[in-house]
Amino acid sequence: MSLTITCPICGKRSGYEFRYGGEDKGPRPDEDELTPEKWFDYTHLNTCIAGMQKEWWCHRDGCGTWFKIYRDTRTIGEVPLPVEDKIKDA
Amino acid sequence: MKRLSQLPTCRIDPEKKVFITYRGKSYQGYEGDTVASLLYANGIRIFSRSLKYHRPRGLYSLDGECSNTTMAIDGIPNLRTETTPARHGMTVKAQNVVGSPEFDLLGIMDRFSRAMPAGFFYHMFHKPPSLWPLALKRIRKIAGLGTLRHDFVMQVRFDEIYPHTDLCVIGGGPAGMSTALAAADQGLQVILIEARPWLGGIFDYRPAKYLDGFSLHERAGVLSQRVTENKNIRVFLQTAVVGIYPDNQITAFQVGGRPDAYKERYVEIRAKSLVVATGCLERPLLFENNERPGVMQVGCAHRLARTWGILPGKNAVFCTGHDLGLEAAIDLFDLGMEVLCVADNREDGQDAELVAELKKRNIPFYRGWVAAKVKGKKAVKAVTISTVSGTRRRDIPCEVLVASAGLTPATGLLSIAQCKLSYDNHTGFFLPVNLPERVYASGRMLGFHHPLSIEISGRLAGLNAAAGCKETTNGLRKEVEEQLATLPGPPLGSKWVSPPGKGKKVFICFDEDATLQNIDQAFSVGFEMPELIKRFTAAGTGPGQGGIPGHNLPLYVGQSRLPADDPPSPTTVRPPMVPVLLATYAGKNLDMSKRTPVHDLQISSGGKMERVGGWRRARYFSPDKSIREEIEAVRTSVAILDASTLGKFRLHGPDALKALQRVYVGDMTNIAEGKVKYSAMCNDDGCLIDDGVVVQRGKNDYFFTTSTARAGGTIEWIRFHTRYDGWDFHLVNLTDAFGVINLAGPKAREVLERATDSDVSPEAFPYAGYRELLILNTIPVRVMRLGFVGELSFELHVPASYMITVWKILEETGKPWGIRNFGLEAQNILRMEKGHVIIGSESEQRTTLHDLGLGFLWHRNKPEAKTVGAAALKHTENQKGRLKLVGFEMEDSASAPPRDGSIIVDEKIRGYVCTARYSHTLNASVGMALVEDRLSSISERLAIFEDDCNGKLTYARVARMPFYDPEGARLKI
Amino acid sequence: MVFKHEQLLGKSRFRSSYDAVIIGGGLHGLATAYYLAKDHGINNVAVIEKRYIGFGGAGRNTAIVRANQRTQENLPLYQEALKLWPLLTRELDFNLMFYNCGNLNLAHSDAAIKSLRLNVSSAQFHGIDSRLLDAKECKTLVPALDISDRPRYPIFGGMYHPPGGIVRHDAVVWGLARGCIKHGVHIHQNTEVTDIGVKNGKVEFIETTRGKIKTEKVLNAAGAYSAALAYQMLDIRMPISVLTIQAMVTQPLKPLMDHVVSSGAYHVYANQTLKGEIATGSHMDPWPNYTTQNTAYYIKHQAEALTELFPCLKGAKFMRIWGGLADMTPDMAPIIDGNDPVEGYFVDCGWGYFGFKSSAVTGKYMARFMATGQCPAILKPFTRQRFEKHRLMGETAALVEFSPNN
Repeated sequence: MSLTITCPICGKRSGYEFRYGGEDKGPRPDEDELTPEKWFDYTHLNTCIAGMQKEWWCHRDGCGTWFKIYRDTRTIGEVPLPVEDKIKDA
Repeated sequence: MKRLSQLPTCRIDPEKKVFITYRGKSYQGYEGDTVASLLYANGIRIFSRSLKYHRPRGLYSLDGECSNTTMAIDGIPNLRTETTPARHGMTVKAQNVVGSPEFDLLGIMDRFSRAMPAGFFYHMFHKPPSLWPLALKRIRKIAGLGTLRHDFVMQVRFDEIYPHTDLCVIGGGPAGMSTALAAADQGLQVILIEARPWLGGIFDYRPAKYLDGFSLHERAGVLSQRVTENKNIRVFLQTAVVGIYPDNQITAFQVGGRPDAYKERYVEIRAKSLVVATGCLERPLLFENNERPGVMQVGCAHRLARTWGILPGKNAVFCTGHDLGLEAAIDLFDLGMEVLCVADNREDGQDAELVAELKKRNIPFYRGWVAAKVKGKKAVKAVTISTVSGTRRRDIPCEVLVASAGLTPATGLLSIAQCKLSYDNHTGFFLPVNLPERVYASGRMLGFHHPLSIEISGRLAGLNAAAGCKETTNGLRKEVEEQLATLPGPPLGSKWVSPPGKGKKVFICFDEDATLQNIDQAFSVGFEMPELIKRFTAAGTGPGQGGIPGHNLPLYVGQSRLPADDPPSPTTVRPPMVPVLLATYAGKNLDMSKRTPVHDLQISSGGKMERVGGWRRARYFSPDKSIREEIEAVRTSVAILDASTLGKFRLHGPDALKALQRVYVGDMTNIAEGKVKYSAMCNDDGCLIDDGVVVQRGKNDYFFTTSTARAGGTIEWIRFHTRYDGWDFHLVNLTDAFGVINLAGPKAREVLERATDSDVSPEAFPYAGYRELLILNTIPVRVMRLGFVGELSFELHVPASYMITVWKILEETGKPWGIRNFGLEAQNILRMEKGHVIIGSESEQRTTLHDLGLGFLWHRNKPEAKTVGAAALKHTENQKGRLKLVGFEMEDSASAPPRDGSIIVDEKIRGYVCTARYSHTLNASVGMALVEDRLSSISERLAIFEDDCNGKLTYARVARMPFYDPEGARLKI
Repeated sequence: MVFKHEQLLGKSRFRSSYDAVIIGGGLHGLATAYYLAKDHGINNVAVIEKRYIGFGGAGRNTAIVRANQRTQENLPLYQEALKLWPLLTRELDFNLMFYNCGNLNLAHSDAAIKSLRLNVSSAQFHGIDSRLLDAKECKTLVPALDISDRPRYPIFGGMYHPPGGIVRHDAVVWGLARGCIKHGVHIHQNTEVTDIGVKNGKVEFIETTRGKIKTEKVLNAAGAYSAALAYQMLDIRMPISVLTIQAMVTQPLKPLMDHVVSSGAYHVYANQTLKGEIATGSHMDPWPNYTTQNTAYYIKHQAEALTELFPCLKGAKFMRIWGGLADMTPDMAPIIDGNDPVEGYFVDCGWGYFGFKSSAVTGKYMARFMATGQCPAILKPFTRQRFEKHRLMGETAALVEFSPNN
């Protein structure tokens, strides 16, 4: 339980209950726009930030929800979503 | 030896004798003894030989901070005898010796130590190159401590528990107990962990004054009784904390007592708050031969006498740097040991009362003196003491040297918990700064020495922890804070490190035989950072985890290398804090796997079960692994397969279709009523990750199946790929709710007909059809007509609770046709004959739908669905130079099929065999392979390179698939 | 027999200009610097290290070397790498302690045997010694193995690769550093690169915590931080996930295991070091992080797995666990590029599990790449562009767990 994640439905749980879903890259692009470069970008490229990162997680061994959190990749500590993000994501 | 068992502090029970065998001889001790105390009482002084130089080693700290006392007990090597309770009948053996600890032939290594400076191996034995393998053999033999036999069998049981609590307190001394009591009084649930078999810590063995005429020992008794009686406190004795992880996850192991069914128990605690109250260690005094048997720390000497009733020797010299040393000298004198003198490396700052007591006993007391050297080969014969400046020296013959430079906080666990430690000039301690949220420290490790200060600091930590758990304690906290401020604060600590006129064999790390000279050598090759020095000299990388060098190393580096005003920085400590048996970590090691509803039936029918993902499935049913009968039954009559592990899902809601369109490459818009739609899912690389069928059971209501492997991930997959869309649909995993029976073979219909009133004739229920039927007019089943194995077959999805019933009904109605089970291996051959792929078997990570020849499943005209994988399928559709799946037949019809995984070559590797078998049905060796596209046309010759073929290739021709019933007529009967 | 202590790490003056700058004092960086100076006469080279040499993956791996990879793009590189250890030992006059004990990779199903056969056949085709053993032969090799059907994944057989073994990782770091210094390379520790200056598509300088350095050639060999660095300084994103990988050792034991043993099903490798410790590891929590933190979950899991494979190890004690970082790519093969998209910018990263065994040989070819501007054929398959072109390398057959794409 080194890593804990707060599921919006089930609350704070051990990180092992969850599955990481990648950096938040925004909605799926239109299929016709997906040139090889753009496809590569959306599918595989990461910023690999050593610091605060907005990312997707799924409560795999729980309710199954996908949700976004902020996490510091240097400490794996989860940090609360800033208010403006909450509003935007709502 | 006569034991001082009458002492109130003594922990042995003189009424209960314990016998252990050491080196073939029986030794007697008492219940309460550790193996080390028992042996010491019997005159054993040399407990082991050191790792590199085979120097004799004896009792030093008595708390397991080094590997000096490790021995093999009942076949388990490297056990610290000083913390291992002696149990009747134990067999104890010395280790890392040729001969005995007293007469170790490898003791000669010590003479070469000068020729083996730090980094020695990096410069030796590599010239000429042929020397190295020989040297290696010798090095391996000499290296290592204990011996573990490869056929060793652990006979005892282990356990594991996972308690949750409000507060976890580590350390059952006065601070820890006060913490626990204060928090428990605030209503917190507390777990208190103590490594020793009793509570009391630094108070436990000391007869010194507490208050009101009580001794510290009596005070420990009072506190310990309060703790034990408090219902909010759960005490774990003989439990060593080994790891602390973020969010106060604490791991420990508990040694089982007499009534326990386990030898050791893995304990993993989750606590809201954590208080570390682990007290202090003694910082080893550095001087020449500072680890000779007979040199021991203050606590070791004192506790030997007080806890185990053993006087360490007839006489002793004390060289110390803290008041506990003076106190011990006085007490041991009073118990009958001759104290030749007490040297204190501090020029002043001693407790005047203690100094007066020494004087009263005519014990010579030298301020500003230290030990410089010990004489004697296997035991202390004499000690040279000297002024700190080294200007004056004196030799004193003695049996025991009680040596300790000063105190140092036991911060190992804090360091493991990622706390930042910072050097404090007053105490000379590394003190915690910016402790993580809801982690606190208390007691001696903060520098407190006065008994009341220790307790009150513990109390304060308990209240802080309670506040951390949101219990309101503000008023009380303030009161206690004020009280602590009025009590004596931390005394000035000794900073003494380097001996005067540096000796030759001054060991800074016992475990790794690292000397001060080695550290200097590290400096001289250019390593100045403690972590690099650790690597280069190995100091602190042994079993003691830096317990011995942990504080001296950074201080020495600081004093030798750093600019005067740069504070030293501590080295890292890593879990486990003390070595832990793998058996303890493994605990119960429970094995879990899922069973299908007909698991027991499969076994009673002779199924040979095998793990498939999280499940167990029958691989085959023949006693001899030949599966010919299973295959023949499917091809010529009828057989049944338990396919319950298939993923089964319901997807419904207004946007259900959109979700299907997103993840399936096919077009899901018009799935006809009563029909199944076969399709596939790809990942965004266009690689096949799943295939299965979809049926529409109503408006916006779908039932679909996935492969066994993919069942667990399907819901998250669909939700992942629709996560930005906000669509309204629901997914229900029905995998465990339904069992699946594959009823296959030309007689399958006859069997089913006898089990249902519904019309299952080819006209009423054609190939690729879907029907919901009642079995025996009672049990509702969902039936699909599919053909994975290439014959007429019905896939029955049966409510799990009815599986056994339906299975038995089919076995009954199938009797006339000799219905029988078939397993995974038969299915594997049957499907291969049909050219059907199994994901992972005929595909790998980079295999696209096109590569498998399944590109036709992709419906390209639904870009609005943004189908997962569609872009990649478009990009790779006509790409050259890819590995394609082909069927092949061996050129020589008599030749055996190549083994799976053989490669296909010309001057380079061009592909490999996925699955190849001899087909009884076809009377030929056929298979499937992934080969470069230029070799993929029909009749192309494939050269197969099998392992161990010695260059002798075999040949096959690419053949059309399916091999069996290419028109698919048999599916449709 | 007493030898003189010579400086392994000289103190070098910090110059304001170098012909080439290597970011990262790990093995790949040091090796590249060494070969630049030794093979190509380019010795006005600086290695810039944020902490100390060997701080990262170089000092945290379990030092296994082998050449039994899956694909023919990888095999020649590792084959040469394996042959390099004895050569380097001689060349550097520093004992790298290559312990040629051979590697045994266990299979626990017919499917796993199949996948090992692919590796074995490919190795044999390349003239590399590797063979399949049945369970009994495995037991003969490693008597501590349990080949009964008691373990949850019974042993079906194994791939034995005699030329492999272990090399002392610190020795390689220090030996290469010493080699660098001898050839005039500057190693600057405690120095962090903070920016890469690019003008007109060419590298012009780098910015460090100790000042600016003019240079036309920069190698990004910052290990797990390579991707973050590329993004921050050049706005180049990489198909990389950085994960913490853990390893641990037991207390030292007398010789018990004479080979490196690994198992895919148990996700475990184990070998006995020269000191006698059983070194074991390989778990990664599948979420990106730079913590190098170890976990309670893993040390327990490892004990469960190891004691099933080797029941006698129940009587051994774990002594120390640590973590390092692995930069994983979607196909478990590295990313090597130069002059693309910025002239003078080179990158050597994405090694995941394989950074140690490949270090010296990659440095050798990377140096040639940097010196000549021509990518040596042996490194060509590893370009980042392969992903864009849908040409995954195939070094792993299974879908990787750390990518959300699977």
